[in-house]
Amino acid sequence: MAGNPKFAHNKDAAGEPGMNRRRMLAWFSGFGLFGSAILSAFSNLVFIKPRATYGQPQRFNIGKPEEFPSGTRMALDTRRVCVVREGDKIAAISTTCTHLGCIVSVADTGFACPCHGSRYDQDGNVTGGPAPKALPWYKVSLAPNGELEIDKDTEVEPGSYLNV
Amino acid sequence: MRLALAIASFVVLIVHGLVFYQQFFHKWENYQTAYFDQARALSKTDAEKAALTARSPRIEQSLVTKFGENRVDRCITCHLAMDDPRFKDHAQPLRTHPYTAGMGDVQVNGKWERRHKFADFGCTVCHDGQGRGLQEHYSHGEDEYWPDPLAGYIVQANWRKDFSTKLKGKDYMQSNCAQCHTEENFAGTALVDRGRKLFFANNCYGCHRIEGLSEGTLGPDLSEVGKKFKIDYLWESIVEPRANLATSFMPQFHLSEQDVKALVIFLKSRRGVNFSETSLQRYRASLNAKRPPEGAAEPVALQGAALISSGEKLVTDHACTACHKLGSRDGGIAPDLSFEGLMKNESWILEHFKNPPSKIPDSIMPTFRFPAADFQAMSTYLASLKTPPPMPTPADTFKELCQRCHGEKGDGHGPIAIYLDPYPRDLTKAGFINSKPVERLQNSIKNGVAGTSMPSWGQVLNDNQIQGVLQYVFTTYTKEPRKEITARKVPEKNPVAASAESMARGEDTFVRRCSGCHGRKADGKGPNSLDILPRPRNLRNTAFVDSVSDRRLFESILYGVQGSAMPSWIDYGLSQNEVGDLVNFIRGINARSAARK
Repeated sequence: MAGNPKFAHNKDAAGEPGMNRRRMLAWFSGFGLFGSAILSAFSNLVFIKPRATYGQPQRFNIGKPEEFPSGTRMALDTRRVCVVREGDKIAAISTTCTHLGCIVSVADTGFACPCHGSRYDQDGNVTGGPAPKALPWYKVSLAPNGELEIDKDTEVEPGSYLNV
Repeated sequence: MRLALAIASFVVLIVHGLVFYQQFFHKWENYQTAYFDQARALSKTDAEKAALTARSPRIEQSLVTKFGENRVDRCITCHLAMDDPRFKDHAQPLRTHPYTAGMGDVQVNGKWERRHKFADFGCTVCHDGQGRGLQEHYSHGEDEYWPDPLAGYIVQANWRKDFSTKLKGKDYMQSNCAQCHTEENFAGTALVDRGRKLFFANNCYGCHRIEGLSEGTLGPDLSEVGKKFKIDYLWESIVEPRANLATSFMPQFHLSEQDVKALVIFLKSRRGVNFSETSLQRYRASLNAKRPPEGAAEPVALQGAALISSGEKLVTDHACTACHKLGSRDGGIAPDLSFEGLMKNESWILEHFKNPPSKIPDSIMPTFRFPAADFQAMSTYLASLKTPPPMPTPADTFKELCQRCHGEKGDGHGPIAIYLDPYPRDLTKAGFINSKPVERLQNSIKNGVAGTSMPSWGQVLNDNQIQGVLQYVFTTYTKEPRKEITARKVPEKNPVAASAESMARGEDTFVRRCSGCHGRKADGKGPNSLDILPRPRNLRNTAFVDSVSDRRLFESILYGVQGSAMPSWIDYGLSQNEVGDLVNFIRGINARSAARK
């Protein structure tokens, strides 16, 4: 095409009013303002969700496997888990009652909640009381420094143990 | 207009984008991603790899709830590999925290086990810094006004360059070990111990208070000095006490660099807290500490040699030599006490102990609040010191007795002169020395000058020695030959009767004529006084004023004091009666203060 390439570029095939300087600036301004509005709205949404809370960390080390001999059922109250070891198999069962969140205590028959009398068996299945569902099991793994690591963010099927 | 709007809107967009980027994309996310990648490469099983793949960056923190006050340390957010032994050769921040036997770590079956687990103790308990900070300048503390940057690792950009190389190193960590390991001779805090010993060996404890250690009152309280100041400030304050406070009279101790370092570490460990305790536990402990011991025995009144030796012990314990000279120890601030018994008697010393300004009104010696029995023992001990140093020649005499105040050059600028008020006399000022009769100078040496730090040397030196040292001063310092002193015609006794009217007239004259130098309070601190050396006399120094005869007051006022700024007031038209009123006024203000005592 002949003539000034700038204007030629701005005409489209349908012959509609071209992208002159005025329109282009308006588009630019609109894009800038709209973009920053979206960004700030998005930032506000992200901001609402806390990045860190003052709860105990969800992934933590509890010590060497040797510290939990076979047959152990040890409740760690601040962590709200019960470490269970049978032979070479280790698992971690939540001690937060599924009813209203009290800390359940370890009993001979399994777990018993002191608040409203919910009862669970050794594997955390509900055997009585108002609790709606079984106690979750958490993932146990071996950290690189040889300690057991419990990840409360990852629930596992009841009955899945870590072999040590 | 549209162009401006377009540009402005783009600027807004860019600023928004930058803020968004800063707030939601973090360095620590990159560190964590790098850790996941590197750990994946190092892991052996597929399960491990899968677990690492499932992890995404997030803020990691340890909440310390069972050790002292609750603390939140998020250091692990960046230093994710600190408990992963595979990363021991990696670069920071992804490096394994070193295992050292010094921290109590032990090796079991070839694998290290930590004594201080990070989940139990946190990080900032040892390293300082701000546990919640997620950006380097917040957490490590490159902030001028923040006293707790990462101990031993961070040297701030604005710190003094000549010190900065000395302020780094893991030795400084000992000040933090000592927060919990407060026991002396703890193997891990050798430098804190050394600093503590230096604190006592150099008499720091005489002036500075550290809770539980010392009770000094002259200098600042150092109980919480480690909490308030950074190590560079502490270092500077020890090496150059006047660097931050021009009026400080703390002596320069000329310590070796190692000693300064030990002292800095010791001082940095003084924070008034023990990390292993909560504030409630600390409060309980302080209550118990203040309870007086039950069934304390009545102190036995000591006699004779026992009293003297207990006094000697007290003088050592109370660190008198932090300022005074006593035998071989010299604090370099206050007068020599080595043969105090020859210069002062026991009752003078005792009264001076109880209230130093009662004897020397402008003394900087603090009024210590020791028990009366302690004062008695110390006075008896000091009064028993009666061995003068050997001084075969007048030059030795001057060196031994005079030089500490009057200076090597005799110019009144001896090493302790700046701590004395009034200043020692400048012996090189021929105008003064040669205008005073030899008898008066001899008398000043023999009987001292009341109300000043010039002691009476009458028991140390015999008349010949006094004559000798005076001659030595004339020839060595004054130099100008003595001339005949013209006798002035002044009354022996004040001819004006002391009455309220006379004193009022005197006060009026004083305020108009004298207060420019001697001050409105007649305390020698008038507006011009700082420009004048020798300083104007403090006319409220009762001991001094009482020791001066009317004749001398008349002479000094009427004919001035040669070699000082005191002019001859007869030239300015003061009549003898006006001077008489002035003398009555000066005597009057001292009589009142004497009556008040």
